[in-house]
Amino acid sequence: MIEIQLTVNGKDYTVNIEEDKRLLDVLREDLGFTGVKEGCSEGECGACTVIMDGKTVNSCMVMGFQANGSNIVTIEGLEKDGQLHPIQQAFIDIGAVQCGYCTPGMILSAKALLDKNPNPTKEEIREGISGNLCRCTGYSKIVKAVEKARGYEDES
Amino acid sequence: MRMSLDIVGKNMIRVDALSKVTGKAIYPADVYMDNMLYGKTLRSKVPHAYITVNTKEAENIDGVIKIFTCKDVPTNEHGVVFKDHEVFCSKKVRRIGDPIAFVVATDIKTCDLALEKIKVNYEEIEGVFDPISAMKEDAPKVHEGNNIMYHYKLRKGDTEKGFESSYVIAENTYKTHMVDHAFLQPESGVSYIDEEGRVTVVVATQYPHYDREEIARALNISEDEIRIINASIGGAFGGREDISLQIHLALAAKEIKRPIKVVYSREESFISHSKRHPLIMKYKTGADKNGKLLAMEADIIGDTGAYASWATNVLRKAGVHATGPYYIPNVKVDSIAVYTNNPFAGAMRGFGATQPPIAYEQQMDILAEELGIDPITIRMKNMFKKGSETATGQILTESVPLEECLNKVLEDMDLNLDRKGAY
Repeated sequence: MIEIQLTVNGKDYTVNIEEDKRLLDVLREDLGFTGVKEGCSEGECGACTVIMDGKTVNSCMVMGFQANGSNIVTIEGLEKDGQLHPIQQAFIDIGAVQCGYCTPGMILSAKALLDKNPNPTKEEIREGISGNLCRCTGYSKIVKAVEKARGYEDES
Repeated sequence: MRMSLDIVGKNMIRVDALSKVTGKAIYPADVYMDNMLYGKTLRSKVPHAYITVNTKEAENIDGVIKIFTCKDVPTNEHGVVFKDHEVFCSKKVRRIGDPIAFVVATDIKTCDLALEKIKVNYEEIEGVFDPISAMKEDAPKVHEGNNIMYHYKLRKGDTEKGFESSYVIAENTYKTHMVDHAFLQPESGVSYIDEEGRVTVVVATQYPHYDREEIARALNISEDEIRIINASIGGAFGGREDISLQIHLALAAKEIKRPIKVVYSREESFISHSKRHPLIMKYKTGADKNGKLLAMEADIIGDTGAYASWATNVLRKAGVHATGPYYIPNVKVDSIAVYTNNPFAGAMRGFGATQPPIAYEQQMDILAEELGIDPITIRMKNMFKKGSETATGQILTESVPLEECLNKVLEDMDLNLDRKGAY
């Protein structure tokens, strides 16, 4: 067992974990952030996407101990004072949600993109979510939703 | 007066959209309960073998609570139409991935260790992996009796006469492959005994009522002693119509009386659930000089793998749709489902209507080419309109907007039918 410290959605945590535990399991099992989804366990589907120190990572591909000292944002951290993040609102308004299993990862990839590039082209949006699979084939509406959220002002 | 509609034709916000964009939607794997145990399934590593199973050593591992096998299931069978699946294989495995045992332990690592220590003796027997060979008299038998498990026949008019009067005939064989649904959320579930003493299974399923019926039958208890809670479903596309972990979970909760959780890996998900039926479609289609279709014969063979699942319905639908949306006066279709030792095939988006277009649309293109007419023209000449009669004798009296649709496509593509090779 090793002890790691990390910040998730602005809150500090210290957890004792087994050395072979993945960040995905630390977030879901130890800290209860079940909005982080497991789809393929090998970094292909993007369902387990979280933002780690400003960059998106597949949390199934990051070991727990590698996250020591890092700052993580999960889907649960996007709402501010009961207000949905503009990307979340856009996903609802456009109807970019079907089975919902890819949704947390999609929204976080979109956030990481818009944080860096507030005015991406359609092509850049497609590239930004290219690591996230949607099997309900809802890509058009997902891209549309990110376009709608484009240019949002991140107050965080 | 036309009724005004509140929902149809309008964009509505999904009732579950808010929970899904905030990560609050609960899929079965998101359920954690106090005192919860974990379960894992031992699956066949070979496609066709007689088996004997010894769980003694595995049972002695610290942390293993119980290992379930066929001996623990009162009625060891299930299946959406035919009860040809076993809950756990008793004498024989029929495909790679057939369930043999179910380990319940305090944690997942102990489950994995126990799976390794269960001794399965495989006495391998010859398997059959393509449906054409499987149809032969002397082919290895996947179940008792013949491997041909369904034969749908459609007969209309006289195809021989139709071909005699045909100016062109196209004869070709088309094959489609197996497809996995690859829904994004692998199978998972949690079972427990609820406050009213009911065996409760939280699962992402397309058929909660069927699941309850199958559990009741397998466990030999009444349906009102069972509760299925359908959690959020991470995609299904037909792949969650058959039983996966429901009976294993219910059986374990009933015996152990503690919550039990199962989460399949992506690999186990691929290995265990159904696929789209691969079809072999032999087509013969005849038309007159002007491109009017006169006769069609189709032999469709579907590989349903080790189990029937929805094969009867899927192959029937493939047969019913064999002409495509075209009027043909003389039709003969034989659509057959065959057992093999491949992964079993079942429901997947389209249910047998998806594969035949590969065949009948290419037949149309080939006939058009041979007649030197436009592929759109040949379709316009033959397509279903209001009042058309289908191969099964149905008169289409309601909306049949195919002509309108194709005209709109032509208009928007700015195609001129008079131009040679316009497509």
